[in-house]
Amino acid sequence: MLTSFDISTSALVAQRARLNTISSNIANMSTTRNERGEPEPFIPRYVTFQTDTDQTSYGGGSGVKVGSVEYSQEPPRMKYEPGHPDADAQGYVKYPAVDMTMEFVDALEASRSYEANVGVIEVSKNIMENTLRIIA
Amino acid sequence: MLSSIFSSSTVPLLEQVVNFTEARHGVLAGNIANLDTPGYKTRDLSPELFQAQLREAVEARSAPPIQSSSIGQYGNYESPHSTGPVSRVDRNLAAFDAVKNSYKSILRHDGVDVSMENQVNQIVKNQTEHNLAVGILSNQFRLLRAAISERVA
Repeated sequence: MLTSFDISTSALVAQRARLNTISSNIANMSTTRNERGEPEPFIPRYVTFQTDTDQTSYGGGSGVKVGSVEYSQEPPRMKYEPGHPDADAQGYVKYPAVDMTMEFVDALEASRSYEANVGVIEVSKNIMENTLRIIA
Repeated sequence: MLSSIFSSSTVPLLEQVVNFTEARHGVLAGNIANLDTPGYKTRDLSPELFQAQLREAVEARSAPPIQSSSIGQYGNYESPHSTGPVSRVDRNLAAFDAVKNSYKSILRHDGVDVSMENQVNQIVKNQTEHNLAVGILSNQFRLLRAAISERVA
């Protein structure tokens, strides 16, 4: 019974990690330089989830964990800004290929998944409280 | 006489469980309070160690008493201060002293899996255990009250 809590918690942790990368992508929407200050656009990141066999419950349920953080393969968005200090010889500035619509849909999905897992924890808790009512 | 009423049941055992879950709740609450503290390391009490100590204590308690051959079948009731049943009770309660050490040893994790979700998960599980122990405990007392008052409460 208590493993269902661990499974739901693993989903909470994973969805929070996903939300973190989404907020990082949106925060860096206009970042044209890397951490060393060189003109290199930010590359959007995406997390991949994988089933976590460390947390398995009786009945075949298993948890989830962040498998890897992948970098977007999209080419950077080219914007004509000749006066920009990071513009190339043709006057184009490379901006990160962050699709705001996609990011917000993903964020909504992550936060709904988080809520759903909180709901599952609530159900597990209710079941357990009802079981305890038999003996105590 | 009272102590023998309590110690013959699971009351001392449940008392240890309630003590432990209360102590652990305090430690876990400290983790939540320090979620944003830089350099804070998550603390915890080991439920596994506690369970192991408790199992040892229970086994020591349920071990058959050492009876000297000179004391007959009814000799135990005539000499409560020797190796009779009362001294057995005392020894059995002493078995729980070792259990208390299990919740003085605080585990420290490095900051790898510090997350509010994990901490809250631990708190919920700890709370469930506490509720279970307190529930059974109050049931025990209800039975005792029923026996004393000779009336179904």
